[in-house]
Amino acid sequence: MLQLKNISVRFGGLTALNNVTLSVGTHDVMGLVGPNGAGKTTLFNAISGLVRPTSGQITFDGVDVIRAPMYKRARIGIGRTFQVPQPMHELTVLQNLTVAQRFGTGKVDQKKIDEILEFTSLTDKAERNAASELALTELKALEVAKALATNPKLLLLDEVFAGLETTGKRHFMTMLKDLHEKFSVGIIIIEHDIETISNLCQRVAVLNFGELIAEGTPDEVFRDPVVIKSYTGGANA
Amino acid sequence: MTELILQALYSGVLQGGSYALIALGLALVFGAMKVINLAHGELVLLSAYIAYSVEAGLGWNPILAIPISLVVVCLTSAMVYYLVGRIKKDREINSLILTYGIGVILTNMILLIWKADVRTTGSTWMQEAMVVGPFYSMRSEVLFFAVSLVMMVGLWWWLSRSWYGRAVRAVSSNRDAAKLMGIDPGYTELVSFVVAGILAAVAGVALYSYGVVSPAYGSVLTVKAFIITVLAGIGSIPGVLIGALLLGVAEALTVTLASSALQELVGMGLFLLVLFVMPNGLFGAKGRRG
Amino acid sequence: MKFNKTIIAMLLAVYIGVPLAFGSDNYLMSLLVASLVIGGVALSWALLGNLGGMVSFGHAAFFGVGAYASAILSMKFGVPVLISILLGGVGAVVASLAMFPVLRLRGPYFALAILAYAHIFRILATQWTSVTGGAGGVSNIPRLPELFGYDLSSKTGGYLVILTIVVAFAAIYQYIRRSHYGLALRAMHESEDATRVIGVNSTLLKGLMLLVSAFMCGVVGAFNAHYINFLEPDYAFSGLWVTIPIVAAIFGGYRTITGPIVGAVVVYLIDQLIFKNIIPSGHQLVLGVLLVSMIIFSPDGLMPLLRKLTRRTHVAT
Repeated sequence: MLQLKNISVRFGGLTALNNVTLSVGTHDVMGLVGPNGAGKTTLFNAISGLVRPTSGQITFDGVDVIRAPMYKRARIGIGRTFQVPQPMHELTVLQNLTVAQRFGTGKVDQKKIDEILEFTSLTDKAERNAASELALTELKALEVAKALATNPKLLLLDEVFAGLETTGKRHFMTMLKDLHEKFSVGIIIIEHDIETISNLCQRVAVLNFGELIAEGTPDEVFRDPVVIKSYTGGANA
Repeated sequence: MTELILQALYSGVLQGGSYALIALGLALVFGAMKVINLAHGELVLLSAYIAYSVEAGLGWNPILAIPISLVVVCLTSAMVYYLVGRIKKDREINSLILTYGIGVILTNMILLIWKADVRTTGSTWMQEAMVVGPFYSMRSEVLFFAVSLVMMVGLWWWLSRSWYGRAVRAVSSNRDAAKLMGIDPGYTELVSFVVAGILAAVAGVALYSYGVVSPAYGSVLTVKAFIITVLAGIGSIPGVLIGALLLGVAEALTVTLASSALQELVGMGLFLLVLFVMPNGLFGAKGRRG
Repeated sequence: MKFNKTIIAMLLAVYIGVPLAFGSDNYLMSLLVASLVIGGVALSWALLGNLGGMVSFGHAAFFGVGAYASAILSMKFGVPVLISILLGGVGAVVASLAMFPVLRLRGPYFALAILAYAHIFRILATQWTSVTGGAGGVSNIPRLPELFGYDLSSKTGGYLVILTIVVAFAAIYQYIRRSHYGLALRAMHESEDATRVIGVNSTLLKGLMLLVSAFMCGVVGAFNAHYINFLEPDYAFSGLWVTIPIVAAIFGGYRTITGPIVGAVVVYLIDQLIFKNIIPSGHQLVLGVLLVSMIIFSPDGLMPLLRKLTRRTHVAT
């Protein structure tokens, strides 16, 4: 469904991504790992349209989307959450979802919204103001809910677990486990915790210094000496 | 024909000197506070009218108005700074509206005090023709061009060598961090306004000495100064000078080759052209895109 | 659209009450018309600021283009006045299309770029003599017609027309604000990317708000041309059409819909009835002072401040 071919992203003299080639299918739950600064968020930015790659191809559902602006990509089915939640301020949770659905799919389906609210445990927070009245766990849940409201085929989850304490983490784990099934959506998830990744994903891709250094099942990847070296040190991994 | 064009170039360059002073004042304040002082043109105009009063009322040469202008304009500029500092939120937009309002006040005050008539110097000393090579100009044009150059060099030296230069760079990139380093941002910003006032005061007297002023001219000047800063790009003094010269020359050429009514159009057109084609100006760094 | 009793009462008051009470006082009626013209411009300015998130210093451009477009269409092409007024709005929309490239600029740059456009249009109107009559202007612009036997070109007639225009625009503004577009626009102020990532074409939405604002301002300008039957570039594109609406909108509370309209009536009437007599030349000084004080003390407007104060005294008693 999503195909990245030789994606490179260069900012002036800095190469954030170098020749990354990756495919994600409709039934995949793929983990994206790597040390800080490896280019994971940049990859998400490239896929969702926040950043234009310096070279390479991005195909989604057979269509070349590299020139498509961000809003178009959301409409054709690429959903994305931000590491630091970016809800629509001044709007309530319900309004956030309604607007997301209205502009992401073209119409409003109240039943679907109720479903999503329930799934993310936000039903009784629906009238709360997104910017000022939500706890971090709820904000993160809203990030996911918002993305789901656009009816995505591919969901990019950027460090949803960051900053959550144990109960929150457990809650999200359960939620994410069902996500793939319930909404038939392919997922790429950026995460630092190896256990979480092994639990959730069937495939894992590893980035280091902007390059794809390993890809495979969690078992394969986390035993790969190259991968281990990139995490434990050695600037020339 | 070529003579006409060359003469226009010469006049345009001389005019550009004063334009540069005006634009630098605007740029200085913007650089320190990210605030565009829409009343800046009126400060220049105020100085010009003071020169008029000095000449018409006291019979002196307009040049002697400079000390008086300096005091009045710098005080006014400091007051603008004080008012801007009182804005509590949305500083970028609210300061625009605030300074716009101050501009309206100043323009109308000038209208009240000096009436709506168009003024220019009557001093023959200022108007006396000076011939440099094949080019003709008024003494005031050459004199004030020289003055502008001197002031610009002084400004450049001061920005690069003095505490102020470092302070303003620190304050504009991170106000709180600057405070931690012992820099007083308020003082730095005040100094920016006062120096802008100095530049405006000199430019005003220059304008009166070789050009024509009327109460409505204040906002025209602000717009021209803004156009030049856009042409120059952010953070470049040489850029401002070149931008100012460019505007002066473009205007002079339009007046010579087309008509004087289109003079203003040229500036606006250049402005829009640069915005579309070179959003970072001729020399500037980034910062204009939203 | 909720029609509560207050709105109906207000509409009755302004549509029927005012003409009955003041219809015979031509001077007062003409002041009311003028203040509503300003109110219309103020409303369009506030709409662009609130919904579009863009402050403009150049609404005089739309006002003037609308005025000239309508005048030319009705005079040279015989278009009926009421239709040419609407087409005047369309003309302003076309003018605003030329401004689209500056939409991507940040606040101050956008505001001043629009100002540059206003100057350009003014100069064009002055120079393009064959079409616009040049600096001398256009006179004998067709008056408002008779509608169902009622003469709209009378002072009261003009009042009713501009009142309808302003009320209609207020309704449109409200409609947009309540719609999903309105929600998306509000969210865009904080972060355009947050909206883009869920499928909002934020650039297009902002552009649409510019078009709507331009249309409204153009229609008001066109109305004014047919009301005073005369146009010249320095009048149609005057900086006053920038200053007074901004003062009016901020005074009345630019975040609300009725604020700019009420602000326009109050500010203009006070300016004309009181200050013009005290300081005949340069009475706009007061406007400047008003603007400055408001930004410093109550950027959300004077009326909201008054409302807050009166509410507090009610509670105290």
